[in-house]
Amino acid sequence: MKDIQRISPVVFKSTPSKVEKRDNWDVVMEYSGEGDGPYLVDLSHRPRFDLQSSKLAAIKPFGLKLPEIPGNCIFKKGILANRMNGIQVSVLNLDGQKDSSMPDEAEYTDVTDSTICVALIGKNIFSICEKLTALDFMDLQKKAPFLFQGPFSHVPCQIVTLSKDSDNSGLILTCSRGYGRDMINSILHAGEEFGLRPAGESRFTNWIKA
Amino acid sequence: MINRLTSLPTLKIDTAQKLAFMYKGKKYYGVKGDTIVSALFANGVRIFGRSLKYHRPRGLYSLDGECSNTCMEVDGIPNVRCENTLLKDGMVIKEQNVKGSAENDMMSFLDKMDWLMPAGFYYNVMHKPAKIWPIAMKQIRKAAGLGKISPDYKMPGKFDEIFLNTDVCVIGGGPSGMMAALSAAKKGLRVIIMESRPWLGGFYEYRSKEYKNSQTLHDRAKQLANEVTTQDNIRVFTHTSAVGTYNNNLVTGFQIGKKEDVFDERYIEIRAKSVVAAAGCIERPLIFDNNERPGVMQIGCALRMAKTYGQLPGKNAVFSIGHDLGLEAALELHDLGLTIACIVDIREDGQDPQLLEKIQAKKIPLFKGWVAKKALGAKRVKGVDLSSVDGQISKTFPCDLIVASAGMTPVTGHITVALGTLKYDTYTGFFLPDQMPDKMHAAGRILGLNDSFSIEASGTLAGLKAAFDCENGSIKEIGDAKKALENLPGPVRGTKLVTAPVKGRKSFICFDEDATIKNIKQAIEKGFDVPELIKRFTATGLGPGQGGIPGHNLPLYVAKYQALSDVSIRPTNVRPPLVPTLISTYAGVNHKMFKITPMDEMQKKDNGIFRNIGVWQRARYFSNDLLCKKEIENVRNNVGMLDGSTLGKFRIHGPDALKALQRVFVSDMSRVKEGRVKYSAMCNDDGCVIDDGVVVKQGENDYYFTTSSGRAGQTVEWIRYHTRYDGWDFALVNLTDSMGVINLSGPNARKVFEKIIDIDVSNEAFGYSEYKEFKIADTIPTRVMRLGFVGELSYELHVPSSYMKSVWLMLKEAGKEFNIQNFGVEAQNVLRMEKCHIILGQESEQRTNLLDVGLGFLWDRKKAEAKTVGAVALSQAENDQTRLKLVGFKMENNGRAPRDGALIVDEKVRGYIATARDSFSLNEAVGMALVEAPLSKIGTRLEIYEDECGDDRIYGKVVTMPFYDPEGQRMKM
Amino acid sequence: MALTITCPICGKRNGYEFRFGGEEKGPRPDEKDMTPEAWCDYVHMNKCVAGIQEEWWFHKDGCGSWFKIHRDTTTNLEKEAQEAKK
Repeated sequence: MKDIQRISPVVFKSTPSKVEKRDNWDVVMEYSGEGDGPYLVDLSHRPRFDLQSSKLAAIKPFGLKLPEIPGNCIFKKGILANRMNGIQVSVLNLDGQKDSSMPDEAEYTDVTDSTICVALIGKNIFSICEKLTALDFMDLQKKAPFLFQGPFSHVPCQIVTLSKDSDNSGLILTCSRGYGRDMINSILHAGEEFGLRPAGESRFTNWIKA
Repeated sequence: MINRLTSLPTLKIDTAQKLAFMYKGKKYYGVKGDTIVSALFANGVRIFGRSLKYHRPRGLYSLDGECSNTCMEVDGIPNVRCENTLLKDGMVIKEQNVKGSAENDMMSFLDKMDWLMPAGFYYNVMHKPAKIWPIAMKQIRKAAGLGKISPDYKMPGKFDEIFLNTDVCVIGGGPSGMMAALSAAKKGLRVIIMESRPWLGGFYEYRSKEYKNSQTLHDRAKQLANEVTTQDNIRVFTHTSAVGTYNNNLVTGFQIGKKEDVFDERYIEIRAKSVVAAAGCIERPLIFDNNERPGVMQIGCALRMAKTYGQLPGKNAVFSIGHDLGLEAALELHDLGLTIACIVDIREDGQDPQLLEKIQAKKIPLFKGWVAKKALGAKRVKGVDLSSVDGQISKTFPCDLIVASAGMTPVTGHITVALGTLKYDTYTGFFLPDQMPDKMHAAGRILGLNDSFSIEASGTLAGLKAAFDCENGSIKEIGDAKKALENLPGPVRGTKLVTAPVKGRKSFICFDEDATIKNIKQAIEKGFDVPELIKRFTATGLGPGQGGIPGHNLPLYVAKYQALSDVSIRPTNVRPPLVPTLISTYAGVNHKMFKITPMDEMQKKDNGIFRNIGVWQRARYFSNDLLCKKEIENVRNNVGMLDGSTLGKFRIHGPDALKALQRVFVSDMSRVKEGRVKYSAMCNDDGCVIDDGVVVKQGENDYYFTTSSGRAGQTVEWIRYHTRYDGWDFALVNLTDSMGVINLSGPNARKVFEKIIDIDVSNEAFGYSEYKEFKIADTIPTRVMRLGFVGELSYELHVPSSYMKSVWLMLKEAGKEFNIQNFGVEAQNVLRMEKCHIILGQESEQRTNLLDVGLGFLWDRKKAEAKTVGAVALSQAENDQTRLKLVGFKMENNGRAPRDGALIVDEKVRGYIATARDSFSLNEAVGMALVEAPLSKIGTRLEIYEDECGDDRIYGKVVTMPFYDPEGQRMKM
Repeated sequence: MALTITCPICGKRNGYEFRFGGEEKGPRPDEKDMTPEAWCDYVHMNKCVAGIQEEWWFHKDGCGSWFKIHRDTTTNLEKEAQEAKK
């Protein structure tokens, strides 16, 4: 059937200027009027997996050795793995590489549709965050990438700080898919004074490369 | 408009930039940097309002909002503290609590009626006879009070919030606070400074006294402010009051926005590792007759009016002071052109000799051991009676300004709110910090210090102590800083005088509540002997100034009046907010956070009417017919679609997954077969039913199960809680948002369903209570259960949320020929009620157990080793005849349905209606009710009491359940 | 919220991220021959100490784990385990 479509829970009011079809998703590569940062990028189409097992030490998703301490993350070849607790890891495929299918083992669950996934990149992003959460991103003890599991705009989220570099910092946020509309509204509202605008996937891909 | 002083380096105004505003309907001009009060003062306004009880004229007294004297209505917002609210272009300002105007208030006769209103008169007088009270209350409310607000008032303005983390939070941006911040910041720590004025500098900022080497104090303030603001790791929040300090160093406050800010006010919550309290001192008001007459003001107020706002506060002044700051201010104001008739100083000796010399040189008369006794003049000061402190001799001076202050007193609220304690110090006459809260350090004038170098050194020391709390620095450093401080001048002797030698009938200890010294005496004579009780009886300190005026005078006066040998008496408790804070500021931005389903957009297009249900927004109706007749009939006769995406959905897997299920579900989960749907329930340890749902087996120790919408958020928590001692190895994945759910129901459901899939869905191939997984169009992984919640043939499709729109559209397209329609939550509620399928929370409440609602058949007694949650309580409740039972009923004589929650009564309450509706399917009103066991027999007549029905009752009769399709053939067809 | 709770996974956080899970009472008792009174005691009766108590908390807005802490009920401050033993 030709009209099968996967719909992202994240909807921006901006007008897409470049769209790419990928695995039934309409991925917006670029919006008109993206401004000069900070940017909010929808990555909800990127595959995400829940990995839970009491024997995590023996499991290597996409060949990665998993971080051992909860709160620690590893980000290699576009795969981000976040240690959530003793038995659980969230795996995000941020690269958009072709082979994005889930490993076969029963310990994995596809949770792509469980959450929204957005990236907040550019300057002043932590000034936006402090309007929405009491989590301490600027804690000097924490070295990127690191995972926070905590409230953001009153909703439980997983937030991975990828870079604390003051001019070009970046983080990835996931929260329950149902909160997508309101989470996006509150992030954009909080970011308005800093010039936060929705941006297409290219913005994130280029940021990762840089 | 008076001419402003324009060449002072301390000015905060720009006279070149005029700001227009409306006051009492007329246009006035202020200048940029003015507060509302300084602008009005420049326009000759001296009376800003009338007092709460006696309607006495009130004028400018302090500049930091310690009293309500200058509270006015600004742009429709009542009780704005105008003395520290910056003037904005176009503001509209009105007076409060006046009949006529503040200048000529028709209620001012009340000032002469004070003998009628002794302390606590409303407790004493107006309750006998009781009939008087409503009448008296009306009159009192008309005459008394401050600003007015209507119940439907909507607060204008933009409010924001931020949540900060820091190592050290410094409360107070004066010299000691800035030094503390610098010493902590130099260790690489993150520091926040909160300063309530719009600029840093504290009491240095407006003074021209020499700091050292001919550097003035205000230059020193600038120097420190510059160091602080250029230090990367110090965040400075000016115009920011700290209003609360709590456990674990949580500091709350709010900031007033500047013109360019996106907020008018924003709430700030700071979690610090250590706190420095450096809020300095305020002046302790001098109490004498008419001590709040317009024209009486504090030292800092008089001096800052000149040096900050460029206005001389009067023409001819008398100073009645008890601190060197008063002498210093008199000299400065004298040099700026204020005539000073005389200075009276409470102190017999101990003044700074340099200041005395200068006063003599300028030929200003100075009387030591003297004090102001009475301000003269009806609306404004016209003179002052002075007397020796012992009251023996007196003299009168004409003047238009009395600068009055008994001395200083530390601002200790941030310490005591965090449960630190104070102790009276006989040398300074201050209540000084005694036990500091954990990881909080005091610095500066709060410690009684007066010397600039000591104040700064105490700041450095506090900063080091705070750094030490953050595991940074050494004991030795702290020791060295302590020594440095000890080598500098310590606290100075302070005055202890509270009141001039007066009887006190018109001597006000609290301006906001119009409480006089006489009122305090009345309270003490009635037996209220401690400040905390006197405060409540006389209302002293209960006004918007948050006790700023009576704060430390009340305990001192109480001690003096009772002739207590030592001041063991403590000030009354202050509580947050320490500064009046708008509720809107506390509310902040208030983002609404609700969940929506993947069908939200499509249902809105189909005219769904949405309601907030728990964390979700759901389509409750699809037309304005809230009885949902069409929606219901369409499901019964044709086919409908319901969005069931809010159902909790979980995967549980891992070696001990089955054990975990056995623990929380009442049924024997080992009997769940692949390809079949098992309905079961969860109870709590009281056997009360908390959740129900279905379970399907997807593999060995791998299950997919649903929960009710309302419980989904707690399911993981619940299962982990009840297995927390077992060390079992299982994994739970919350898939609630991952899967959209469509309930396709009605006799035509199969005809629609088979059009979008290519598997056999005949009753033989896919029967009732069966489960299948397949792909729609070879792409969309779909899980389908055949259930019958609404009592018709139905398929529950679980589809990945991102594909939901496509499947929805396919079903709509496929159903077009049958005229498929949406149905909402309310229609479902009626449909399932007709079938007597329960909804937990509707047919149950907290005390309802599994057996009460007739679900006992789910409970498997043979798995005792599982220690099923609720099983013990259930076996104990099995023979309990005192419990309620769920029954079905229909209304007598074809009557209407009672309201949900109506009571079932005879001479007592016997139960209540769970759900009842006028059923279109049955053409009569039916429902379910929880009733006492004796009433549960078929045929029992139920007497139903509804809210406000008076003596009228409606009646129903217990009948067998279910009402609709009792054999259950329709859902199995 | 002034209360902070230290989650073994996520560290010290604001109290409102957590749900209280009651006093530590030990594993579920043997259910055999349990009298209603004994069962009710296990489920509902608490020591309610004025002082340091061992108790359960759930990190609902965070990592989703159950854990125990020691808290001084008179000050609402957490205590280290060794401090609690004193």
